Amino acid sequence: SPLGGSGQVWIIRSGSDAGQRRVLDEATRQRRLTRQLEALEKDNFQDDPLSSLPPPGPTARLPAFKKKRRKTRGDHFKQRFRKNFTTLLEEENLSERAEPNYLSAAAPPSSLPPRLFCCVCGFPSHYTCTTCGGRYCSSRCLLTHRETRCLKWTL
Amino acid sequence: MATLVLDNGAYWAKIGYSQDKVSVIPNCQFRSKTSRLKTFTANQLDEIKDPSGLFYILPFQKGYLVNWDVQRKVWDHLFGKEMFKVEFPDTSIIITEPYFNFSSIQESMNEILFEEYQFQSALRINAGSLGAHRYFTTKPSELCCLVVDSGFSFTHIVPYCRSKKLKEGIRRINVGGKLLTNHLKEIISYRQLHVMDETYVINQVKEDVCYVSQQFYKDMEIAQMKGEENTVMRDYVLPDFSAIKKGFCKPREEMVFSGKYKTGEQTLQLANERFAVPEMLFHPSDIGIQEMGIPETIADAVQSLPEEMHPHFYQNIVLTGGNSLFPGFRERLEAELRSLVPAHLPVNVFLPENPVCYSWEGGKLLAHSPDYDEMVVMREDYEENGHIICEEKFDI
Repeated sequence: SPLGGSGQVWIIRSGSDAGQRRVLDEATRQRRLTRQLEALEKDNFQDDPLSSLPPPGPTARLPAFKKKRRKTRGDHFKQRFRKNFTTLLEEENLSERAEPNYLSAAAPPSSLPPRLFCCVCGFPSHYTCTTCGGRYCSSRCLLTHRETRCLKWTL
Repeated sequence: MATLVLDNGAYWAKIGYSQDKVSVIPNCQFRSKTSRLKTFTANQLDEIKDPSGLFYILPFQKGYLVNWDVQRKVWDHLFGKEMFKVEFPDTSIIITEPYFNFSSIQESMNEILFEEYQFQSALRINAGSLGAHRYFTTKPSELCCLVVDSGFSFTHIVPYCRSKKLKEGIRRINVGGKLLTNHLKEIISYRQLHVMDETYVINQVKEDVCYVSQQFYKDMEIAQMKGEENTVMRDYVLPDFSAIKKGFCKPREEMVFSGKYKTGEQTLQLANERFAVPEMLFHPSDIGIQEMGIPETIADAVQSLPEEMHPHFYQNIVLTGGNSLFPGFRERLEAELRSLVPAHLPVNVFLPENPVCYSWEGGKLLAHSPDYDEMVVMREDYEENGHIICEEKFDI
């Protein structure tokens, strides 16, 4: 049981008076959520192993010249092949184009109410952290949340 | 004259000649902590002894092909003498693209296929259309089908009527295998062990232990129990790449329910993670994504189409893509749809034997069909007419 099996009472030391506890506003909470979702889109969380190597010294052998590609048209050709997703999407100018298109195909928001889970253990949650809006299920998880994540950058 | 079928996915390339079988090969490059100078391409992954901290270089971003430098390197390897040894002037290629592919990417694709590689002819097509073709070949009496393509980048719901896709009914849910693996990495890293750098290993964990629950809240209750009563809990032994080359799930008979394991292995304890992660396909809102899940989206897509077609779609739902491999996925989808769809309409969800290669198999069939020659664009046509001929012929 979250309150201790033998009937102990948990004392939550929050490190500050409850009345002076910082409360994040809705805009900040939304920004944190957006950042979390963007982080989930990353291919890698570590740096490229190649980028951490020191640059080659003056005596290093440079790689051999590669076989020339057929029919390359120089810089313009290559530049177009390096744009990122956001740029390419903007260039499609879909707001001016007829539907259906990439934007109109996005699934709409659900009509069902969202299910709420403790941000520490993942089990169903019935309570909300007053500071950051994070969900928790028990005082033990609230303690962990306050100590590790609440006002800290999550990942 | 040979036809090469390439289902060019954001994670796996499914590739093979139409007379042969399919090979499933990573469609990316890798770099490893141990040999930092070398970049491994596609199936050279097998040469890497220690895939810990493996760094992925993917040509796709959010499901669209944006990095041609990397894609060309992968294709050079696949088309080259170590792999498929393509004789370009004598080869036709069937290649897949994502739904609503951007016109700039389509044009780049034309240039690369015809001007750079110089294939004799090409057919650019959506993977779902190949899947639908495969389905209609096995069920010629059916008029419509609904392809659910749930892969690495996202999930698409694509309705087909008489082999033509109905664009107004296409829906995209921005939840795919990448999101599931990253979320699993995040929760394991927060709760147990730092694995944010271990995409390769945790992806394997996901494929080995995750499943789709048929009774979500009940499984949540079971997962909270202690000791042997917790039938959901599994211990996963992590690879160390010397003694243990590949991670594995400990069988329940060998699990130690109180205390530690005597052997020195690193293990992960997975309980609600096992079924909460794939749940994101059914409820993206679990993680804060404001989109419908797959069952609701299917109902929304079908609702937007003419009413007389509804029964035909609900009776012919075809699952493709890696995420449909989760145990319980098909049953759960069918059950959810059954409660959403009007009672008088039958619901039938079909899971092929190999959902990852199903579209490729459709490409193989298409290459041998009598209509094939009319569907392709010849290199000479492209050189004479430019992109416009591809725009007219291909329905992307």
